[in-house]
Amino acid sequence: MKVIIAGAGSVGRYMAGQLVLGGHEVTLLDQDPNVLSRHAALAAGVNWAQGDGCEIDTLARIGAADADVVAAVTGDDEDNLVISLLAKQEFGVPRVVARVNNPNNEWMFTDMWGVDVSVSTPHLLTGLVEEAVSVGSFVRLLTLAQGKARLAEVTLADNSPALGQEISRLGLPRESTIVAVLRTSQVVVPRGDTVLHAGDEVMVLVTGESEPDVRRILVG
Amino acid sequence: MTAHPDLVEIASAIPRRRIVIEGQVVRMRARPTSGQPSLAVTISDATGSATAVWTGRRAIGGVTLGRRLRVEGVATLVGSQLEFTNPSYTLLP
Repeated sequence: MKVIIAGAGSVGRYMAGQLVLGGHEVTLLDQDPNVLSRHAALAAGVNWAQGDGCEIDTLARIGAADADVVAAVTGDDEDNLVISLLAKQEFGVPRVVARVNNPNNEWMFTDMWGVDVSVSTPHLLTGLVEEAVSVGSFVRLLTLAQGKARLAEVTLADNSPALGQEISRLGLPRESTIVAVLRTSQVVVPRGDTVLHAGDEVMVLVTGESEPDVRRILVG
Repeated sequence: MTAHPDLVEIASAIPRRRIVIEGQVVRMRARPTSGQPSLAVTISDATGSATAVWTGRRAIGGVTLGRRLRVEGVATLVGSQLEFTNPSYTLLP
């Protein structure tokens, strides 16, 4: 895939390195020529470009018209939104990924601004902390498909109504699915006849409407 | 008004390239996008149809059913339909 990453900070540089290892064609864009000269040697195989991603001309010059993915991961939410909007509106980029720096801005990172997927580090961290401290509660980990679906995690408590039951008999709504069960550090691929036990970490994909039902079935 | 030099027929329009199309408004829809208003206007020429989506608004002055419109921008394929996001537009007589 052809990937453009705007913002060559630690996030952008790491992504570029990983994606090149994955065999992708990566262009890393940053405004600051010093960043480029300091780090260019570190990530072999990455195309480095200097310029302002908030300008159409810059994006055109580095090939946004043919890019499969644009990732706006600068440290500035305003820039990330402008880059996302231009990528979608002016170049029709199929997948636009944006980094949310300040979680208060997350509500704007939607398809209104051309964003297909947004990633908010503070939000993710909060979810992971909640997960670490909470047995028996329903923890949202990740939002997918512009908020229509969510990945959530429940560690089953001793009083969960789902204990000892086969997954197919739980009566989960059609708009939800158990995607994995983590049991004593093993990943159990869930099947209809998989029986849930106390302490199981159940990863479940839900849509907005089905979440209360799933919560009731797994948490009580 | 003379034809625009970059004008293409809708059926031969290439996705993800800057194009100009002209046609008649055959459908208008207020379509919420992530809870915000947006207006989807489908225009049709003799060869096919394409949809222009303007975000953040429910109506555009002068854009009404039956109106002839020139739309300039980059379109992508959404399903089988060409769709522009916030393209430039000109009301045609």
